[in-house]
Amino acid sequence: MNKSKKPLKVALHAMDDRSSKLMKMYLQGPCEGIAVVANDRDAECDIFDADSANAKKLIDARLAMNTHRPIIALSLQERKEETIFYIKKPVKIDDMLAALDKAKSIVEAQTSAVAKPEKKVPEQPLPASVETKKPVPLPQLQATPTPQAQKKTNLDTDEQKKTSKHQAAMQLNEKSFGAFIGNVPGIDVNDPQQFAKANYNPKDYFQGYVESAFKVCEAKGQIRQLNVGWNPLIMFPHSHEIWFDVDDKQLRAFAGLALSNNRDIKISITPLDPNSSTLVRALDKFHAIDAFVWKLACWASKGRYPAALDINSPVYLKRWPNFTRLLVTPHAMRIAALLVQGPRTMSNVAQALNIKPQYVFVFISAAYALGLVGQAKRKADALVLPPEIQPNKKQGLLSRIIQKLRGN
Amino acid sequence: MSQYKIIFTGPVGAGKTTAISSISDVPPIKTDAAATDMTKSRKASTTVAMDYGIMNLAGGEKLHLYGTPGQERFDFMWDILTTGGIGLILLLDNTRADPFQDMRFFLETFDKFIANTSVAIGVTQMDLSKKPTIDDYHIQLQGTGLKAPIFAVDARVKSDVSLLIQALLYSLDPGIEE
Repeated sequence: MNKSKKPLKVALHAMDDRSSKLMKMYLQGPCEGIAVVANDRDAECDIFDADSANAKKLIDARLAMNTHRPIIALSLQERKEETIFYIKKPVKIDDMLAALDKAKSIVEAQTSAVAKPEKKVPEQPLPASVETKKPVPLPQLQATPTPQAQKKTNLDTDEQKKTSKHQAAMQLNEKSFGAFIGNVPGIDVNDPQQFAKANYNPKDYFQGYVESAFKVCEAKGQIRQLNVGWNPLIMFPHSHEIWFDVDDKQLRAFAGLALSNNRDIKISITPLDPNSSTLVRALDKFHAIDAFVWKLACWASKGRYPAALDINSPVYLKRWPNFTRLLVTPHAMRIAALLVQGPRTMSNVAQALNIKPQYVFVFISAAYALGLVGQAKRKADALVLPPEIQPNKKQGLLSRIIQKLRGN
Repeated sequence: MSQYKIIFTGPVGAGKTTAISSISDVPPIKTDAAATDMTKSRKASTTVAMDYGIMNLAGGEKLHLYGTPGQERFDFMWDILTTGGIGLILLLDNTRADPFQDMRFFLETFDKFIANTSVAIGVTQMDLSKKPTIDDYHIQLQGTGLKAPIFAVDARVKSDVSLLIQALLYSLDPGIEE
């Protein structure tokens, strides 16, 4: 086996997307990275699927180019040819490793021949009259597209750096929930007698201002800045993002303040020039608007439900929230699973799941902020009591799996 | 002792191996399988792998995690794999040319299994390709009559995979207590 650790760059030809991806993984995995897939121009070796319809034509074209690049061909037939390393399908790891090793030896021999000329000629400036020969670009083979070609070409490298957007969600447990979410003095949101007043109006809170400002941005198609007498919050309607440099502790405190009652805080919105240098910002401070508003709603609600919803009418969930990118409050997934099945009143959800109503209210507030909750209008939805949850036959097992996943 | 299993499926490269690795208590085992497929456009195959991991549960029980080979020509194995399964995790690669087609294909292929159990869908590589969005997937799903959870997932991140499986289990029974 060749001792060089530098992987051999191989180009794949006459393979469809699936086969190319598989080959890429095969080289990375079972072949332990001895070779990596590269584009045709950078490759040191070519691998063909010799059984594809146009393989012969492509191999002949490659040979005609006289590139001296080793060729490996995968074939159902046992074949031998001086210029090509044939590997019989299904490909065995040992056969592939042996072929790649031979190819690598050829490439290294060629490289060292170029790097170490027998006689070292002192460098001289080229005379002006001598024409330098431009490298002739290799004609592109008309092969089946490589995985890169089959994949989308508009991959966004900046998007990867927006780490806040792609972070895993934080899961809260019941113990830490109370302190995290806060409470409203004078109201016990878990007391059914007080349900009627256990609501809040998002418009009174930072949540409402952000929602409203973002709607304006979307309607105008403009990047705008929300000024809250604090750090600027910049809104990007086309990408559904905001930029905000503030930590969660500060934000939580601010989100819980009723701004409508506070005359000291002045909020305004100003348009920004898309070409302005002020828009060049740290990528890790970008947030998805949905995740941001969801969080604001949790903190503004403090365990209450949105005033626009009737506590006595059933609500339903239009679809599952994207929980991996959202703050996951206690029992949120259970509530979601129940409410996608059909409408129920919020108090019925709490009863059916045997949980405190505040968990239902917080979830409903956050989901409502994203437009995921609707209030059932049909009389039939409120006519009969929703069915009780039918326990799964494997409930004990499912519970043990959940405990394991949550690390309990 | 009964054999319990969760099935991970999806196209090649969607992150099944990585997802199983993220939550398995033992290093995943790969079972190499060689196959040829001369009937379809004379396309031959190379070695493929079926992934397998284990989660050790309280009381000594084990949950087996199986990843289906991504290739359609192995669909004969899919029935065997799903027999007795608790539910299906479908992983889709958002950088593929037509991930909706992948979604339809796998949902149709496993429709009987899903009807008897449940499915949760994870969309990987969203940090490389923002579109289609999760909303777009839900719109596509509407025609199927399924109301499955669809999450953006980084298969390398344990909590992402964990939440996806939790959603699958709560879909089966919202009454499971936390």
